[in-house]
Amino acid sequence: MHDRSILLVEDNPDDEALTRRALAKNNIQNEIVLARDGAEALDLLFGTGPHAGQPAAPELVLLDLKLPKVDGLEVLRRIRANPGTRLLPVVILTSSREERDVVSGYGLGANSYIRKPVDFGQFVEAVRQLGLYWLVLNEPPPRPDAA
Amino acid sequence: MIGKGLSLERRIQIGFGIAVAIIAAVGAAALRSTEATVDSARWVAHTLRVRAELEAGFADLIEAETGVRGYVITGDTSYLAPYHSARTTLSSRLAGLRGLTADNPPQQRRLDSLETLVTTRLERFQWTIERRRTGGPAAASQAVIGGRGKELLHLVREVVTRMEDDETELLAVRSAALQATARVARLAAWTGVLVALALAGLASVLVGREMAGRRVAEERLRLLVGSVRDYAIYLIDPAGYVKSWNAGAERIKGYAPPEILGQHFARFFTPEDVAAGRPAAVLHAAATEGRYEEENWRVRKDGSRFWADVVITAVRDDRGALLGFAKVTRDLTERKLAEQALRASEERFRILAVTANDAILSADRHGNITYFNPGAERIFGFASNEVIGRPLTALMPERFREAHRTGLARYVATGEARVIGKTVELAGRRKDGTEFPLELSLATWKHGAEVAFTAIIRDIAARKEAEDTLRRYASQLEAANKELEAFSYSVSHDLRAPLRSLDGFSQALLEDYHDRLDDAGRDFLQRVRGASQRMGTLIDDLLSLSRVTRGELQVGEVDLSALAAATAADLKKSDPARDVTFAIAPDLVVRADAGLMRIVLQNLLGNAWKFTGKRASAHVEVGAQAHDGRRAFFVRDDGAGFDMAYAAKLFGAFQRLHGAAEFPGSGIGLATVQRIILRHGGEVWAEGVPDRGATIYFTL
Repeated sequence: MHDRSILLVEDNPDDEALTRRALAKNNIQNEIVLARDGAEALDLLFGTGPHAGQPAAPELVLLDLKLPKVDGLEVLRRIRANPGTRLLPVVILTSSREERDVVSGYGLGANSYIRKPVDFGQFVEAVRQLGLYWLVLNEPPPRPDAA
Repeated sequence: MIGKGLSLERRIQIGFGIAVAIIAAVGAAALRSTEATVDSARWVAHTLRVRAELEAGFADLIEAETGVRGYVITGDTSYLAPYHSARTTLSSRLAGLRGLTADNPPQQRRLDSLETLVTTRLERFQWTIERRRTGGPAAASQAVIGGRGKELLHLVREVVTRMEDDETELLAVRSAALQATARVARLAAWTGVLVALALAGLASVLVGREMAGRRVAEERLRLLVGSVRDYAIYLIDPAGYVKSWNAGAERIKGYAPPEILGQHFARFFTPEDVAAGRPAAVLHAAATEGRYEEENWRVRKDGSRFWADVVITAVRDDRGALLGFAKVTRDLTERKLAEQALRASEERFRILAVTANDAILSADRHGNITYFNPGAERIFGFASNEVIGRPLTALMPERFREAHRTGLARYVATGEARVIGKTVELAGRRKDGTEFPLELSLATWKHGAEVAFTAIIRDIAARKEAEDTLRRYASQLEAANKELEAFSYSVSHDLRAPLRSLDGFSQALLEDYHDRLDDAGRDFLQRVRGASQRMGTLIDDLLSLSRVTRGELQVGEVDLSALAAATAADLKKSDPARDVTFAIAPDLVVRADAGLMRIVLQNLLGNAWKFTGKRASAHVEVGAQAHDGRRAFFVRDDGAGFDMAYAAKLFGAFQRLHGAAEFPGSGIGLATVQRIILRHGGEVWAEGVPDRGATIYFTL
């Protein structure tokens, strides 16, 4: 099931709204699937819990790190550990610029690490670039379920 | 060889005695030979004289007879002259002959006969002469014929011949005897000469050999004494003047032989000793006792003193007359200094032991206490005399005693040490029975075959307490740090999120509600956005400031020149329109944390870039210069500069010397730089002149 959706894992409604706005401003029309915390994100991806039997199959995951219940790095680790999501592009989109977060993020197999700038103009530009790269230029890996 | 055991003098004496005896004997023999020769000559002369007298007398008689016969024939009385002279000469000749042959009785007897015959003949002549005068020639002839003159003459001849023969015979006998004597004497003389020559030769060889031996021995002794360098060996005369000087003396005292020979030895003494009359006293003692020895200070040529071991020996001849003194001096300064140092060191250690705050105690191989310092008394509460001789276990809590005994026995038996040479923490027991924590350093030493132990014990009760407190503080600090870290982390996340909202939604308002806002409203929203963004920068700077104090320094080689060049390139790229010249000294290589040094240069060059922003063209210099023996690096610009009155505020966080409208900034950059430099153990300072520029210096 290839829905070309973007899974946005973000607990802050403001950031969610701003991210949606930035995506919209860049004419990225893909469906946005929202997860409010790490646990929900995993349920969505793996079709567990409330989403039993209906796993989401996003084109791209935008993952915040500081999340309630299960934090972003753990979510990333589980995504990479699961054969079905192992190759899923994951872009970390976070406030933190802490070196350990960057290192752990890439160490766990993040495809990009983007720090959310305070300046919305810069944020829009960052989202434009990531959208252009991951959704337009990048050739996505073959999907296990699509095979 | 002659008496090997005899001294040379004795041998020479004996040799001379023998030679003298032989020469005397040779002399006597020669004398004897000469006397014999003289005797022999005398006897020849004697014999010749006797014979001459005899012949002369016979001739007188013949002449008298011839005269008488002439008178008888002629009657001329002048013919009688020989007769008359013969009468006197014959009697005197006979008397002389009697004297000459006085020691020879047979000759005397023959002389008696001769005298009778001569007398008879002379009377016969008298009678003939009378007859001629009175009776004429005939009567006289008769008298001649009847007078038996011829017969008488014949008899005289016979006697004379016999006497002559006798003398000749005697001469031969005597000559033979004398010749024999002379031969013996000559033989004796020659033998003596030969023996004397042989003796002289032998003596010459012996003396020569002895003298050569002595010369060799003397030369060896001279070389030996001369080459001795560790001892000054020299001679002084009875009055104390230096007579000889060896290499050791030159080395020890510093005088070359020509400088010192003939000088008085008092100059080797210290002025105090000279004033006290020591030189004379020393010589007197040596002369009286035969030998004098002392250890004392002496003075070298250069005036420096050395500790000398001096031995003075009086030198006397066979009769005991004082010839001088032999002096042997050794430089014991090093030993003396070592002794003094040792004494001083012992004293220091004694004082150390007495004044030490720690307990210092010694024990023998049985573990019995042999020394207990005041520190030990204070710590353990025992007086020294209460524990000396008692086992160390008295100072231990019950539970350690068995382990101590086992360990001691093992060490003494096998030499296996577990505690020795280390510092261990144990517990001690005071006199009142209370226990306390202690730190023990145990050393062992061997005195001969005897093993002993020295322990330095420190009461660490207070330290333990302090350590516990420190540990508590440390864990509190660690907790606080963790909290702070968590705080920073959440600040970085959570404090920025609202700012993003402020900025983002203000922007949304400006975009989506643009036509419903008037200029003032739009300006307000722009201000909200500006404030949010400044707040975001502030948070980032604060986080980077806190980051530089965390984590280990990763010290390695850092090329500041390269870092500065990279930073300068970034700055130029950020605003290519600006005309800023960077002059970066090459090879500024230091040992530091590369990441932190990058932050330092980013801040300093960033500041320089920022504060030259109002210049049409600017110069920024990066270099190094000497400062208090260290290398100080600097970043110099010709920008806005600052008033030195505010230099102290420069490095405080949030301290700004320029208004935000003039130059933007958080006021954290230099605080961050200072923190990084301090973490590297360096210093940072600034110099500036308003509108002329600023220079920030740092050392590492």
